[in-house]
Amino acid sequence: MSKENKSRRRDPARSLLSAVMLFFFLGFFMLGIKDGDWLSFLLSLIVPAIIFVGTVGVAKFFPSDKLLFVLTNFLCALGVLMLYRMDPQKGLSQAVSYGVGVGCMILCILLVRYMPDWKHVTGLMILGGLGLLALPLVIGTEINGAQSWIRLGGMSVQPSEVVKLALLLCVSSLLARKKVLISVAFAAVCLGVLMLQKDLGTALLYYGVTLVLVYAATGSKTLVGCGLAGGAAAALLGYSMFAHVKLRVSIWLDPWADPQGSGYQIVQSLIAIINGGAWGVGLGLGNAQTSIPYAYNDFIFSVILHEFGMIFGLIVVLVYAFIVIRGIMIARRSKTAFYALLATGCSALIALQTFVIIGGNIKLIPLTGVTLPFISFGGTSMVSSLCVIGLLQGVAGHNAAQIKEDRLLAMGGGETE
Amino acid sequence: MKQTRRNIRRLCLVLCGLFVLLIGYAAFSIMTYGNRWFTSAQNTYARQKKSDVIAGDILDRNGIILAVTAEGKRQYHQDAAVRSAMVHAVGDEKGNVNNGAENFFSSHLYGFNMTLLERLGFAVRGEKRQGDHVYLTVDSRLAAYTASVFPGDKAGAVVVMNYETGEVLTQQSFPNFDPENITYAVRNHPKNPFLNRAVQELNAPGSTFKIVTAASALDAFADAVNRPFQCTGQLQAGLRLVTDAGTKLEEGVITSHGQLNLQRAFQVSCNNTFARIALQLGDEQLRKTAEAFGFNDNFLFRDLVVENSSYPTENRNEGEVAWTGAGQSALTATPMHMCLIAAAVANDGVMMEPRMLVKTVTPLGEVRTQGQSRVYRQAIPAEHAAVLQQFMRSVVTGGTGTAAAIPGVKVCGKTGSAEKDTQENTNAWFVGYLDEEKSPYAICVVVEDAGGGGSVAAPIARKIFMWMLENGYAD
Repeated sequence: MSKENKSRRRDPARSLLSAVMLFFFLGFFMLGIKDGDWLSFLLSLIVPAIIFVGTVGVAKFFPSDKLLFVLTNFLCALGVLMLYRMDPQKGLSQAVSYGVGVGCMILCILLVRYMPDWKHVTGLMILGGLGLLALPLVIGTEINGAQSWIRLGGMSVQPSEVVKLALLLCVSSLLARKKVLISVAFAAVCLGVLMLQKDLGTALLYYGVTLVLVYAATGSKTLVGCGLAGGAAAALLGYSMFAHVKLRVSIWLDPWADPQGSGYQIVQSLIAIINGGAWGVGLGLGNAQTSIPYAYNDFIFSVILHEFGMIFGLIVVLVYAFIVIRGIMIARRSKTAFYALLATGCSALIALQTFVIIGGNIKLIPLTGVTLPFISFGGTSMVSSLCVIGLLQGVAGHNAAQIKEDRLLAMGGGETE
Repeated sequence: MKQTRRNIRRLCLVLCGLFVLLIGYAAFSIMTYGNRWFTSAQNTYARQKKSDVIAGDILDRNGIILAVTAEGKRQYHQDAAVRSAMVHAVGDEKGNVNNGAENFFSSHLYGFNMTLLERLGFAVRGEKRQGDHVYLTVDSRLAAYTASVFPGDKAGAVVVMNYETGEVLTQQSFPNFDPENITYAVRNHPKNPFLNRAVQELNAPGSTFKIVTAASALDAFADAVNRPFQCTGQLQAGLRLVTDAGTKLEEGVITSHGQLNLQRAFQVSCNNTFARIALQLGDEQLRKTAEAFGFNDNFLFRDLVVENSSYPTENRNEGEVAWTGAGQSALTATPMHMCLIAAAVANDGVMMEPRMLVKTVTPLGEVRTQGQSRVYRQAIPAEHAAVLQQFMRSVVTGGTGTAAAIPGVKVCGKTGSAEKDTQENTNAWFVGYLDEEKSPYAICVVVEDAGGGGSVAAPIARKIFMWMLENGYAD
């Protein structure tokens, strides 16, 4: 008993979890004091509770990577905190998405864990995925220039977020069976549909993830070379075809040419970051949410930098990096090609999405409207990001079970630990 | 499976590379551009927050207070003449002057770079936060003197700097204004007193650019010093005719210098010869030298914002190239940049980064940041600089710049009378320096729409150098 206690105390995930829970308790508590708002006090208890359940609770029933859970929960809760601080209504709805997301994550874990064979559903998923992806073209509504949304009973849903999961599963499954051509064709059709919807940020993610998976599965430099060349050609085509792509690129090259007009968002983002300084202006004390448009989704990272400072921002980026590294570790430990590819795809997706949006915020690359995983406002995004983690954790569960089995075999069975 | 695992390991490096790129780029751009973002006019947050902080003082190199916050009000030097002379360097409270110290050093003045501990200290004590005091390299007495000798009705700029350290002793723009009394007349002045002409106004540098053309010739021709040139008074280059100062074609008067060498051409500022040299050098060689001197570069000096000078890259026909050699064409530069070029020649080809900041001092009297001299770049080799030094000396001893001569002092320089399309008269330029070990100072004087550089700008430079030598800048 005492031995177990000791090992618990040494568990880094556990101490990290306590720190994270304390962070959000204090965060919401201080917001409560500042605004005299009882709901904040309530959230200062509820959010750490969700984190606890989403980490310890899930990890207890499903063998998985606890540290990964702590890190993702930290990011999700950070999103809720920032959104609540900017607009309580949005914060609450994000908290609900967070809860739903944790549920979906568990579903994904179970799916990966107990679905013995994905061969037979790939075809179905491809068809379903394409149908769903194309749906906004028929009944969709246009938001911020991209026609990638459908209205569903008062809610706006972005099918491309859901189809992401199908893409990961299908391409991994196909590539694991050496069906390179079909998987690339599927991805290419998806890209075409996304281009038609003018959702170029998401198209970039689909493209990147497919390229990563093809390389992981085949290791073929010619294939990757062709992919890169094709991507460059598509980018040039998009640049010459769409006026708004040209505009985005010219803004990226020099936002200060028109700081009040087209360059306004990025200029204000940079200014918000520099105003934050190393330590930030303090939670709830900034003005970024009024000066930056889309502070809730596209530019939420700039708001975090503004209020918490650059050092905290660095930590957030490192948390993403750590999630990705952890995901790759899971991939390298897995025993079958399918699981290895799935985990790689999940990690690559998170890495690319983070890079594309944060890179856009700090003017490293042209801004595209993708969400910051786990943090940005948006139910679909939150749920799909957590599902990606669910898929990763499912693979991690497999690995754990495998290791247990191996150990049992090695010991000649009998002992359990 | 084994191969897949190896591929995945490689991919891990690529994905981690993305994060390294993010962090690296963020760090780089915050370090390089951060202060420019912060001080931009779009930064409404900093402006709002300024009311919560007691701004620090601004002082000159001798500790004379130029701006102070007293009883919640920002006040400038008590003498109206001094505060007017200093207004472009110091700036004003309302931000009419872009990138004055009030604005450019606002992160110091308003305590935005305080440590967490200091901020907590102010919060715990319940005091209003207090910003740091900023010591500038400029000399307010020199500025007041300069303002008194600059022709009152003209627009223009004066820059004086130490060419060994890059410290800017004064950067002034005319007309100036009183920051404590911004009248209707000031706001509606046709020559816009708010503009800091020393660093913000781009004009053709005229014959002062011949320093660059000569440097380019020294670089390209082994026999540049001895090569004979023939000045015929007129040179047809493409569709354009290059003539010299004094030539009036309508009246049939043509100034011609006859046969001369590079030094003589430089001394008398012969357009004809320099146009020929430019054609012999070719556009590419001349541009290479100009870019070595900082043309077409994005100036990212840490202490002040200087508009980028440009060596034109479009419509380069023969006529344009010929005129570029004489400093006209679409060539543009600020007085600050031309001063840097003279300073680079004086400093054996090493161009120092111009500096405005001596130090910042916390409210408790501790030095927080100390300004440092940095080399901007080696513009030209030292041996070429030595030749140019002789050339510039000869301009003052027996050329177009004799009006800048001071007996017993080695004044060197180059005059310029730059044409502007819109004006009757030329802009008078003088760039030069003192070749004295104890007085390493470079100057640039520009008087707009005033006539010849030798007759208008050079005497002003002489007066300023005289004053400096008499007032403690000789030891």
